[in-house]
Amino acid sequence: MIIACNKQLDKTDPSHPTLETYFKNSSELLGGTNAIYSIFHSAALVGREWFFLHDLRSDDVNSGGGQLEVPRAQMLNGATTTDNAVMNNVWNGLYTVIHRSNTVIDNGPNVTDNTELRDRCVGEAKFFRGWAYFELVSLWGPVPVYTTQVTAPDKFQPRKAEAEVYTQIITDLTEAITMLPATTKDQGRATKGAAQAMLARVQMQKGDYAAAKTALQAVISSGLYSLMPNYSYNFDEEHEFNTESIFEAVFFDRGDNNFNWGYTGDDQPSAQPQSTVRNQEYSPIAWRNLIPSNRYLNEFEFQNGTTIPKTDPRYAFSVYQTGDKYFNNTLTLTDAAQNGNASVVNGVTKKVSWRKFMLIYKDNNTFHPGGINQRIIRYADVLLMMAECEAELGSAASVVTGYLNQIRDRADVAMPHYPTAKYPCNSKAELIKAIMHERTVELGDEEVRNRDILRWRKKGYFTTDPLPYFRANRDELLPIPQAEIDNNPDLGAGGINKQNPGY
Amino acid sequence: MLFYRVMRLGLLPLILINCLTGIIYAKPTSGQEVLDRKINLVADQKPVKSVLGEISKLADIKFVYSVQKIPANKKVSLTAHDQRLGAVLDELLQPLEINYHVSGDQIVLTQKAERQGNLLPLHIDADKMIPEAYVVKPITGKITDESGAPLGGVSIQIKGTNRGTASDANGSFSISADPGETLEFTMIGYKTHSIKVGSETSLSIRMEPDVALLEQVVVVGYGTQKRSTLTGAIASVNSKTIAELPVASVEQALQGRVSGLTVTNNGSPGTSALVRIRGISSISFASDPLYVIDGFPTGNLSNFDTRDIEAVEVLKDASAAAIYGSRATNGVIIISTKKGKRDGNLKVFLDSYVGTQSPWKKIDLLNTDQYLKYERALNGAANIALPPRLESANFNQPIYQGANQTFAQTNTDWQDAYFKSGMITQHNLAVSGGNEKSRFYSSAGYFKQDGIAEGVNYERGNFRINSDHNISKLFTFGQSLYFSYSNQRYDNTSGNRTRLVNVVRSMPYLPVYDPTTIGGFRGAENSFDGADPTNPIEDAILLGDAHNKTFKLFGTTYLEVNFTPWLKFRSTFGVDYANLYQHQFQPIYDDKGRNSAVAKITDLRNNTTTKLYTQQLTFDKTFGKHHLNAVAVFETQGQKYYQENAAGTQNSNDIETFDGAGNVSFKSIKAENFLVSYIGRLNYEFAEKYLLSAAIRRDGLSIWAPGKKYASFPSASVGWKIDREPFMKGIPAISELKLRAGYGETGLDAVNAFYGVTTGGVYYPWQVAVYAGGATYPFSNSNTTGNGSYYNTLANPNLEWEKTKQINVGLDLGLLDNRITLTAEYFRRKTDNLILKVPTPGSFGFNGVGSYQNAASMENKGFEFQAGYNKTKGDFTWNVTGNMAFIRNKVLKMNTPNATIDDGADQDFGAGAITRTAAGHPIQSYYGYIVEGIFQTDEEVQKSPVQNPGTDPAKSTAKGDLKFKDINGDGKITDADRTYLGSYIPDFTYALNLGANYKNFDLSVFFQGVQGNKIFNAARVITEGMARLFNSGTAVMDAWTPTNTNTDVPRAVSGDPNQNVRPSTRWIENGSYLRLKNVILGYNIPGTRLKSLTRGAISSFRVYVSSQNLVTFTGYKGWDPEIGSKNTTLTNGVDYGQYPAARSFQVGLQVGF
Repeated sequence: MIIACNKQLDKTDPSHPTLETYFKNSSELLGGTNAIYSIFHSAALVGREWFFLHDLRSDDVNSGGGQLEVPRAQMLNGATTTDNAVMNNVWNGLYTVIHRSNTVIDNGPNVTDNTELRDRCVGEAKFFRGWAYFELVSLWGPVPVYTTQVTAPDKFQPRKAEAEVYTQIITDLTEAITMLPATTKDQGRATKGAAQAMLARVQMQKGDYAAAKTALQAVISSGLYSLMPNYSYNFDEEHEFNTESIFEAVFFDRGDNNFNWGYTGDDQPSAQPQSTVRNQEYSPIAWRNLIPSNRYLNEFEFQNGTTIPKTDPRYAFSVYQTGDKYFNNTLTLTDAAQNGNASVVNGVTKKVSWRKFMLIYKDNNTFHPGGINQRIIRYADVLLMMAECEAELGSAASVVTGYLNQIRDRADVAMPHYPTAKYPCNSKAELIKAIMHERTVELGDEEVRNRDILRWRKKGYFTTDPLPYFRANRDELLPIPQAEIDNNPDLGAGGINKQNPGY
Repeated sequence: MLFYRVMRLGLLPLILINCLTGIIYAKPTSGQEVLDRKINLVADQKPVKSVLGEISKLADIKFVYSVQKIPANKKVSLTAHDQRLGAVLDELLQPLEINYHVSGDQIVLTQKAERQGNLLPLHIDADKMIPEAYVVKPITGKITDESGAPLGGVSIQIKGTNRGTASDANGSFSISADPGETLEFTMIGYKTHSIKVGSETSLSIRMEPDVALLEQVVVVGYGTQKRSTLTGAIASVNSKTIAELPVASVEQALQGRVSGLTVTNNGSPGTSALVRIRGISSISFASDPLYVIDGFPTGNLSNFDTRDIEAVEVLKDASAAAIYGSRATNGVIIISTKKGKRDGNLKVFLDSYVGTQSPWKKIDLLNTDQYLKYERALNGAANIALPPRLESANFNQPIYQGANQTFAQTNTDWQDAYFKSGMITQHNLAVSGGNEKSRFYSSAGYFKQDGIAEGVNYERGNFRINSDHNISKLFTFGQSLYFSYSNQRYDNTSGNRTRLVNVVRSMPYLPVYDPTTIGGFRGAENSFDGADPTNPIEDAILLGDAHNKTFKLFGTTYLEVNFTPWLKFRSTFGVDYANLYQHQFQPIYDDKGRNSAVAKITDLRNNTTTKLYTQQLTFDKTFGKHHLNAVAVFETQGQKYYQENAAGTQNSNDIETFDGAGNVSFKSIKAENFLVSYIGRLNYEFAEKYLLSAAIRRDGLSIWAPGKKYASFPSASVGWKIDREPFMKGIPAISELKLRAGYGETGLDAVNAFYGVTTGGVYYPWQVAVYAGGATYPFSNSNTTGNGSYYNTLANPNLEWEKTKQINVGLDLGLLDNRITLTAEYFRRKTDNLILKVPTPGSFGFNGVGSYQNAASMENKGFEFQAGYNKTKGDFTWNVTGNMAFIRNKVLKMNTPNATIDDGADQDFGAGAITRTAAGHPIQSYYGYIVEGIFQTDEEVQKSPVQNPGTDPAKSTAKGDLKFKDINGDGKITDADRTYLGSYIPDFTYALNLGANYKNFDLSVFFQGVQGNKIFNAARVITEGMARLFNSGTAVMDAWTPTNTNTDVPRAVSGDPNQNVRPSTRWIENGSYLRLKNVILGYNIPGTRLKSLTRGAISSFRVYVSSQNLVTFTGYKGWDPEIGSKNTTLTNGVDYGQYPAARSFQVGLQVGF
C-alpha cells in the first residue's frame, strides 16, 4: 500500500510540458521564436508603453489635456521617478524579449531536425536581443547583460559599461545579418535588411558613422526597398508590409474592443493575436492623451509667398485639425469632438491631433483598439540616416542632399529640392540643419526623435535644448527602475553605480 | 442516566384549592408544626369546601383533594376557639371518613377506604395519625428545545429521590410529584432545568442549550472527546447560533462568535467571506482555515446550508489542529451535520424567513450645479478648456433626440440608481427520526438573496440525507449525502475601477438610460464630456450578465467494526464533486461612449473531484483511574480537476452559444494532486485530573519535488483539572478550573496554495512549465492562435511546506455551577520558512515575477478571552456571553534584511504602493507619506522641502497644495520620505451576545466590533482626490482657495502637479466600528394552545422578527467599515469602493410538526 501511494505522489504537470523536455526540435524552437515577437508587440512594448516612452522622452508631443495619467505626465515633464510604471513596463518587456531570445539561442545548438529553420530562428532571436539591448543602452546607459537563460534565483548580472553593451549588440546584429534571409514567406519576420538597418541605427548612436554607412549601403544596395508614392501608406492598414517598410510590428484587429492589458504578450488563457491601443491613446475623437507639440507643428514649411513656395504636404498627412474629413471622408472634425488642449500652428490657435497610425480615416468608433501595424524602420529613415552619415563623414553636400531630395521627391510630397532659401546646405552645419529638419517632418511621432535628440545633443547641435526641463548629467538617461535595484543585489558589482546620476 | 421506563400513575382528577394565591413558600415547614397552629373558627351549616377554604386562610396552608372522593358540598357545623389545627381537622374530617396528611405546606385529603397500589415511596411527615396516607400528583407537560421543537429523551427526575421519567418523542411527559418537590430536567447538551412543583398541573419547559457545555462531547478530528478533558484551544458553536443569522454561508454565521476567529464580509451575495483564525499566517498565500465536514477535509463552504449543521468546532491552536498536519496552520473548522434521534418518532421541522435589505449609508456626491463649479475650479486652474459638452450651446441640448429634458436640467443621483433594496429569503424543511436500529436526517433547503446594488444576486437549493444503521452488534454502517446547486450573478468588473468608483465618477448631468442607443444606456463621451467614467448601471445590468453556477455533490459512507467495546475499526470513503460553470454574455451595444459591434461570450467550466479514503483504528479503555484513548489512521486524499475556458463573439444578441461564433478561443487545464497521511494519537487521563495528549501526522504530497514530498507534524498538550484536587473542595463557588498547555507544528495547505486553476495551471513549483502555444503573433496579418511558446518562471526543487510552530496556554474557569464561565488563552505562533515569491529583477526576463523560496519568518501572538453568564431559573432567564481577542503580527525576517514586498499600487488610487511588507513590521503595513498640512502662502512653499523634485517647482507646487513631511531631512520629498502608516489588523476584536427568555418570548441581541484598525480609504481618492476631471464627492467643494483656507482638502487643479493624491496619511482612516450585528425577537405559541388550535398537527410554532446591521457606530467615512481584500492577500483593508454590508430586516417562523 505504501509503495502504491508513493507512486501516486510522483506526479508532473499534466497540462504543460516542462523545460526539461521542451525546445528540443525545430518546431518547438520556432514556437520559442514566435513568443519573442509576441512580447515585442505586447502592451509592455510596441502595443503601448514603448511608443509612449519614446514619444514622452521627445519633443514631438504635448499633453492633450488633463487626462494624461500620472506616470506619463511625469515622463513628459522630466519628473520620472524610479517606480514610473511606463518605464518599468518597457524595462521588463525588453528583458522578457532578451529572456525569450536567450531561450532560443541556448537551445538552438541542440536542434538538429531542420538546421535551416533552426538557424533562421536563432538569427531572429539575435536580431531581437540586439534590438532590446539597443533600446536599453540608449535609454538607461549601462545595463545588466544576460546572454544565456537564467537558471537559478541567484544568477544576477551587474551593469555593464555602455561600450560593452554596444559590443554585444553589434555582435548579435552582425550574426543575425548572416543568419537571416533577405525575404520571408511570413510577413513580419525579421529579415537581413531589418538587421542591417537596425545595426546602422546602433552604429550611428554609438558614433561610428562609417560602420553605419556600410550597413545602410547594404540595405540600399539590396534593391528590395523603395519609397511609397503616398506618404500615408506608411501609417494605414491597407499598405502594410510595403516595400518602404523594413521592419514592422504586426497587430491584428479582432473586431472587438478587447485589448491585452496583461502586458505580457501572452493573452492567457486564450492566446489571441493582439491589437494596438495607439489609435485609442492619440485619436482626436478618443482619449487624445498626447497631441503634436507646437515645436513639431511649426517645423513644417508653410507657404509664405516669399522664401517658402509650398506648404509641406506631410503636415496634413501627419496630423488632423479641425475641419478635416474623417471616416471615409463622411464626417468633419470639429473642435468640440476633440477633447483637451489646442495648439498654435503658424500663428493660429487650433485643435490639432495625430493622424499617423490613427484608425479614424475609416472608423468613427471612439473606443476601438486597432490593427494598424507599427512600422519600426522604413526605407525613408534609411535614406535619412545615410544622409546623416555622409554629412558626418564629410562627404560632398550634393551626396547628402541627394539622399534628402529622394525623400522630398516622394510623389505626393514633391517638395522643392535642397538647398532651399531656408536650408542653404553650404556647410556641414547647414547640412545637419537640413537633415534635422527633414528627419523631424518625415519621421515625426515615429519613435525616432528621442534618440535623434540624444545623438545630436552629444554633438552640440542644439542651441537651446529641445526638452524644456533638460538638466545635464541627469536627463540623458532614465533612472534604473527601483525594482531592479531592490531585487538585483549584484547590480552595482561591476563598479558602476546602481543608479544613474541625478536620481 | 435516563429513565426509559415511564411510570404511569393513576390519574385522579384533582382540584387544587389554593386560597393563598401568590404566596411563596419561604421556608420548608414540618407537618407537626403546621398541625400545631392555633385557629379560631365558627361554621354553621357551611359546605365542607367553604370550611376548608376558611381554614386554609387562617392556617396559611393549602388543601389538596379530589372532588370525586371528598364530599365537598356536604354541609357541616364547627366551632373552634384557639384550637390546634390538628384537632380542628380531626373534628371536621373524621366523621366524613377522610384522612389527611401534611405535605410541605399542603394538606392532602384522601378517603379512608382508598387503596392504591402505588409503589412510590412517599415522603411522609411524622404525622402518626394517618400512617397510610400518600399523595399522588400527576403533572403533565411538554418539553421543547431552544427553537421550540419538541425535545424527546429528556430525563425528568424528582430531586432527592430516585423517581423519574423521560419525555417521549413529542416532548411530552407525565410524572407524579408532591407539591414542593423539585423537578429536574436534564439532557446532554442542555442546561439542567429545575422547577419546584407548585400549583401547576401542566408545565411547558424550554430547554436551553448549555453554553458552558462542560460535559459536552466535542468533535476533535478522528474522534470525539469530553469537553472537560480537552487540552487544546477548541471553541464550539451550536446549531442555534449558526442558524440564527439570515446569511448565506457558515462563515458569515460564525462572525463574532469565537474569540480569535475573524470573519470579514468580502463582496456581493454568494462571495465567500474572509475567515482568519488567529491572524494571517502566510505572506504569499491565503490564510483560509481548513474545513472538515463530517470528517472530510474540503476547501470551502460557500454552498453549504447552515440549517443542516449540528455543531461547529473551531480548532484554534496547533496542539488541537496538528492532527490535520500539513493543512492545519490556519486552524481547522470542523462541521458536524445533523443526525436523527433514536426515539422512535418522526419529526418534521420547517424553518423559514423572508426579509429585505438595503445599504445603510450613502455618500454625498456633487449635483449638476456643483459639478459645473467644480469643473471650472479644477480644469480652470490647469488652463484646460471647458469640455465641449458644458458649453451652453451643447449643455442646453436635449439629453437625446426627442427628450424634453436638457443636460442642464438633468440631475442624476447615480447612487440612487445603483443601490436598491433587495429581498432575502431562506426555507429549510427537515425530516428526521430513528430507532435502535436506524436513524436518519433528511432536509431540503432554499436560499435566495438579491443584491443591494444592481446586477448581483445569489440563489441556492440543496438536499441532504444522513443515515446510520446498526447492522449487528459487530457492524455499523452510515452515510451522508449532500447535493446543492447555486447560481450567483457576480460583479465581473476587473481591476479596481469598481462599479462604485464609476457611481462616484459618473457626471450628474448625464442620464442613466437613453432609449435612442443600442442597449438603452447612456455613457460619457470622453472627448466630449472631458471624462470617461463608465455607466455603472449599464455595467451591472447590461454588460454584467455574468453567472457562476455550481453543482456540488458531497458524500461520505463508512463501515464500522466494533470488535469489543474498547476497540473499533472504521473505514470511510468520501467524494467531493463540484462543477462550476461560469458564463458571461456581453451584447452588442453602443452607449455613445463605449460600444461593441459584436456580442461576446465567455465560458469557464471547472470540474473538481476529490476522493477520500480513511482507515481508522480506535482504542478506548479505562483501567481503574487510568483512561487511555489511542487512534491510528491511514488516509489518502486525491484531487483531480479539469478546467475549460472558451471565448468567442457573435454578430447577434440572440445567440448566446458558440454556434457559428467568431474569434473562438479555447483552452483547458488539467491537474491533480495526491496526499497520503499516517496519523497516530494518544490521549491519557489519570483520575480525570491529569490530562495528556500527543499526536503525530506524517503527510506526503505529490506537488513537492522528489525528496521533499514528506514531512511530519507532531503535537503534544497537557491539562490539569485543578478543581478535582482535594484542596479545592473547600471552595464550592469554583465549579471548574482547568489549566492547559500545548505545542504543535502545522503546515500551510499547499494544495490550495498551488491550486492550478488560480496559478494558470502551474501545480508543481519544482518544475518549469512551458506554455506551449501560449503566445500568438499574427504573421502576415493572419488570425493564428497559439504559435508561440515560452516559460516565465524559475523552478525551485527545494521548496517545502511552510511550517508553523505554536504554543498555547489556556485556562478554563467555571463559577457557581458554571453559571459564570471564563476561558482565557495565550498563544504564540511562528513560521520560519514562509514561502515568498522572491521578486526576480526585471532583468531576469520574467517580468519581475518572483520565484518561490522558503525565505521569510513571521510571528503572531495574542490573547483571547471568552466569558459568559447564564441565569436559567425562573420565568425570566437570560444569558450573556462576550469574547475579545488581541493579536499582534510581525514579520521577523524576509529573504534579505532590507527586502520589501510592496502592493496595491494603482494609477487610479494615488499611483504609489499602498502597503509594504518588511521585517520588523506587521504584514502589509500601510506605507506612504505624512501630510503636515496645507501650504497657505507662496513663501511657505519656497522655504519648505521641494515637494515634487524633478519637476519645475514653480509649476508643481503652489499654496493650497499639501505639505508632505521630509522625514530624512534632505530638503526634498522623495520615495525615501515614505514611512509606515499603520495596519489593517485591529488592536482587538470583540463581540457581545445577550439572550433572554421571558415566558414565551425570546430576545437575542448581538454586538460585534473591531477596534484600532486602519483603513486605506482608496475610494476617497476617487471622491475627493481631484487628480483629473470626474464627478466627485461634495468634499471637493471645500477645496482650498485663497478665500477658503481653513480646510484639509487641498486646492483643485487638474493633473495634480504636486501629487496630492499620493498614498499618504490623507487616506488613512480609523476603521474601528461597533455594530449591532443582529437583533431577534421571537414568540413561541404555547404548546397547549397550539395543540388545541391545530388538533395536534403542529407541535411547536415560533415566530420572530430580526434585523442585521441595524446600527453601526463608526467614524469611517466610506460606505462601510468592514473591508476585506479585493485582490491579493496584501491589500486587506484597502477600500476600493467595495460592496457594502447591508442592513436587513426579516420575519421568520419555525414550525415543528
